[in-house]
Amino acid sequence: MDPLTWTGSVGIVLNPIFFVVVGLFAVMLVIQFVLSFTAPPPSITVNPDGSAMSSGGTIDLVGRINSYLFLGLLGILATYMFSGIFTPYGTGGIIGEIGVRLLPVWIALIITFALSMAFKRKLGLYGKLFDSVVGMIGFAIVMFWVFVAIFVAFDLVITHDPLSQVSGMKNKVPGTPLRGAEDGEYAHYLLGGDNLARDVFSRVMQGSQIVLIIAPAATLFAFMVGIVLGLPAGFYGGMFDTVLSFIANLVLAFPVILLFFLLVTPEIRAAGIDFGFYMWRVPTILASILFIFPLIFLVLLWNSRYFTQPSKNMLFIGLTVVIGGYLYLALAWDADPFGLISIDQNVLIVFVAVVFVNSPTVFRIVRGLVLDIKTRDYVAAGQTRGEGAWYIMLWEILPNARGPLIVDFCLRIGYTTILLGTLGFFGLGLESESPDWGTTINAGRRLLGIYPHPAIAPALSLMTLVLGLNLLADGLREESLKD
Amino acid sequence: MADTDTYDGPILEIDKLSISFFTRLREIPAVMDFSCTVRPGEAMGLVGESGCGKSTVALGVMQDLGVNGRIVGGSIKFKGRDLSQMSQEELRDIRGSEIAMIYQEPMASLNPAMRIGKQLMEVPMIHFGTSEKEAYERALEVVTDVKLPDPKRILNSFPHQLSGGQQQRIVIAMALMSKPSLLILDEPTTALDVTVEAAVVELVKDLGKKYGTSMLFISHNLGLVLETCDRICVMYSGETVETGRISDVFDKMQHPYTQALFRSIPLPGADKNSRPLVAIPGNFPLPHERPNGCNFGPRCDYFEAGRCDQGVIPMADVARGDRHETRCLRYAEIDWGAPIDVGKQTEKPEPGDVVLKMDNLKKYYEVAASALFGGANKKVVKANETLSFEARESETLAIVGESGCGKSTFAKVLMGLETATDGKILLHNSEIQDVPIESRDTKTIANVQMVFQNPFDTLNPSMTVGRQIIRALEIFGVGETENDRENRMLELLDLVKLPREFAGRMPRQLSGGQKQRVGIARAFAGDAKIVVADEPVSALDVSVQAAVTDLLMEIQRKNKTTLLFISHDLSIVRYLSDRVMVMYLGHVVELGSTDQVFQPPYHPYTEALLSAVPIADTSIEKEHIVLEGDIPSAMNPPSGCPFQTRCRWKDQVPGGLCEKEVPAVRHMADGHQVKCHLSDDIFAKMTPVIKIAAE
Repeated sequence: MDPLTWTGSVGIVLNPIFFVVVGLFAVMLVIQFVLSFTAPPPSITVNPDGSAMSSGGTIDLVGRINSYLFLGLLGILATYMFSGIFTPYGTGGIIGEIGVRLLPVWIALIITFALSMAFKRKLGLYGKLFDSVVGMIGFAIVMFWVFVAIFVAFDLVITHDPLSQVSGMKNKVPGTPLRGAEDGEYAHYLLGGDNLARDVFSRVMQGSQIVLIIAPAATLFAFMVGIVLGLPAGFYGGMFDTVLSFIANLVLAFPVILLFFLLVTPEIRAAGIDFGFYMWRVPTILASILFIFPLIFLVLLWNSRYFTQPSKNMLFIGLTVVIGGYLYLALAWDADPFGLISIDQNVLIVFVAVVFVNSPTVFRIVRGLVLDIKTRDYVAAGQTRGEGAWYIMLWEILPNARGPLIVDFCLRIGYTTILLGTLGFFGLGLESESPDWGTTINAGRRLLGIYPHPAIAPALSLMTLVLGLNLLADGLREESLKD
Repeated sequence: MADTDTYDGPILEIDKLSISFFTRLREIPAVMDFSCTVRPGEAMGLVGESGCGKSTVALGVMQDLGVNGRIVGGSIKFKGRDLSQMSQEELRDIRGSEIAMIYQEPMASLNPAMRIGKQLMEVPMIHFGTSEKEAYERALEVVTDVKLPDPKRILNSFPHQLSGGQQQRIVIAMALMSKPSLLILDEPTTALDVTVEAAVVELVKDLGKKYGTSMLFISHNLGLVLETCDRICVMYSGETVETGRISDVFDKMQHPYTQALFRSIPLPGADKNSRPLVAIPGNFPLPHERPNGCNFGPRCDYFEAGRCDQGVIPMADVARGDRHETRCLRYAEIDWGAPIDVGKQTEKPEPGDVVLKMDNLKKYYEVAASALFGGANKKVVKANETLSFEARESETLAIVGESGCGKSTFAKVLMGLETATDGKILLHNSEIQDVPIESRDTKTIANVQMVFQNPFDTLNPSMTVGRQIIRALEIFGVGETENDRENRMLELLDLVKLPREFAGRMPRQLSGGQKQRVGIARAFAGDAKIVVADEPVSALDVSVQAAVTDLLMEIQRKNKTTLLFISHDLSIVRYLSDRVMVMYLGHVVELGSTDQVFQPPYHPYTEALLSAVPIADTSIEKEHIVLEGDIPSAMNPPSGCPFQTRCRWKDQVPGGLCEKEVPAVRHMADGHQVKCHLSDDIFAKMTPVIKIAAE
């Protein structure tokens, strides 16, 4: 087997065109930038049929050329990516073959977008996202990684076992063929091998799973804590608010990295309160406190609304307590009575640390939103109707604070992703062979000068996911303000 | 600018102006075929409901339509020069110097980080390059002109140090700094209290005369336009429907919309039982769903199918009258003098037993001077002082007063959101003044309910209409099963005359009037016996106001509800209330039946309020009483009588008694009480403020 080049035989034709287009685009961008200072603003005329037409002379022309060039560029990039699907193995180069491996992801993305676009007027805020280009790009990137994580679980995208080492592949550059590959084995290391001769491509793809499970879940838990504490703080004010805000400020004022170091160091993890018959260790202490908030949230949510209908109320609360309590015992206390669910203690401590660090900020956002919304007449109407305080907080105020909260949720997943990367980079929490991006970057860092590829691939992945989340948040913010 | 100084034609000529806004979905025509001419020294009133395009016209004149607004036809000539042909520099030169604009919200028009004086001086310094000293002199002169006390101090202060009325005066002063030829006022007094509004309107009128400025006065209030303008332009759904001299349009109207508008506002003579208001049926058409032909057609009493719904209807000149035009095909055929179809008359219900009794109710708030180190000097805000009254079954008691008079505090105490400091509230003979809402039983809560002011705020935006009503039913324990409540909810929608499909709608899909109806349905969910209506119609358009008011009256008659109607609009109060209570700074200054309060003898404050309310009727003569200054702060009320700082009768009371003692309540006639030191013979000499001129 020959080594793969980046663009394969497709590139022989496409590469020159690609570089010409890139060069032209760069020059035209500079021209457009300069012209925008000097040229007169476009004049807009209105046609008798009511449509408006803008005619702007040179600047308009340059703008149009630029958009065509940009589209051409995108077209060429897409050709690189998808050519491998239709040509025999190897002609598409590394990029083309990666495109082939990601085929299920592309199909899933196309289906998602086609369905969403078709029904976008019926889908509320999610549907409106498809009115914003920025939002769509962000959503596409995020969904790309979500689908990658899903399909990796079905053993679809990855080419090799992310943990197995193949002799002779140590620090090999991207596209290196596997020596003595057997039938049915993938013939190349698409993105090369790392310093332990593992496949970088498979590790990066597998790593998305860890990030995409921990980050949204941890953010969700942080939101539960922030909401359950922030709502009453904003609603009642007074001493309760002062004390909680002060604690939130304390947590925020403490350096995050130092806090992480403290939380995940073995000494701290081993410390705890000794009851004689049971050692209440720090991770369990934190988890048992933080994980109870979603339970409180749900019980309050049901009870405040359904207390007038006792049978329904009992049903909802009962289900919540039974299912939630079971999960709580299993996850926080590692005491699943049936021994079915348990969480790796390393993951748990990372999870708890992230929740702990994020919740004070969420608390402050929620508190601020409540202070604003509680002055509305519908809140007063609820009060004059004799509604309980929690009904007003959870059913009258919270749904109307959802816009900013959803936006912050997206941004915060991105922030959490970076935090997880940072944690992994410092070798905190997760095991050293874990394929998560932070750990992988750290592992690749040592030989960065000689073999940059094992570190660059996960770094780019981390960057695109966070970028996607930020763009998604931007798009959501823009569209949620438009109503 | 030399050529414009000698110009003596019309100041503003708008000819067949059409303005559209372009959105991604469609073009939305905001103004269509709008023409008007403003001559030097003339004041033109632009009247219409919200969304009719009146503010768009003003923005068109300023050439400030934003990125997606565009003039798609016609021309706007200012002193003979077409504004749309001017360059940005020329426009900048004209804006603020030749055309000045005054907006609704004074605080938003002033830079909060700049001293008043500096902001005023900027105008001549930028436009005419005057020296700083001259500009200061000019600023001082103008601030004196707008009748602000102590001009030097004002020039040296920041906007937030002034009250709303003072801020609006400064905005007017700023507009006058450059002696503009045209002044555009976009709802300049809507954010102000009635008595302050009256003073500002008076000021604008005087200044218009003094400086000879032409004015374009945009308002939804016909009464205000009557008081300020020479000519009027009535707009409906993007078009002018009628224009002419005030006297022509008010008394000899030639368009069905103008007529319907006048019939839907409570003028003196309208009465809820014998001559109810006539609401305009239907809804205002959305800009992209306008009907063919006449825009008003679907709501018009004189509609003729096959004629009014065809083609474009042009403005027609009405033969008599000075430049009086109407956009109606049938104006010559309609008998404009025909008497109003009185509608269904109802018997005045006899008030029943006393259901609510307030006895010397007091509510004080303690405000710590500093939140962090409180305790040392606490200030007391006396929101309610010795409030006593009774309300009977199926009676409407109006509570009248301006902002800060304590009417909302009173409502809070009654609802149980606050507990009283002192005194008693008796509801069906049980004392509830110390019972906060959490400890009240469901029956009491369901019995006392509230309708809120702002229709856009009264419903939870993320819950369906039906769900919100059902929630109230759940809380009040109405109905056994989900089905029962569902049915009751639909009945309630019937009660407030909304279609049953609305149950599944979200509040944002409803118009302001419809939301207010849902609010009423929710309040009556538990068959409320006492309903506090806090300015329920003041945020609605005139034509919708009548319908909502009538709905409230109808439900009241059916349920024998006691209605506590909080309002500052005396026209509507006279129309619907049986008794009136006038409040000022937490005190009840006058209480009596509607007739007693609206006839002399008055409390001096009632007198001023009556004079301040603009009435859209040319046959009414009003005595002009302008109150000096602003309402004192409740943190630091004046000594003695609360009203003494602004009272014009103060010198009639010997010995400065007004400044020393709070007057005692005096019982004038049966059930009529006034809190004033004036002697009986002075009361006897008072003349009515509002007189209907003999015809």
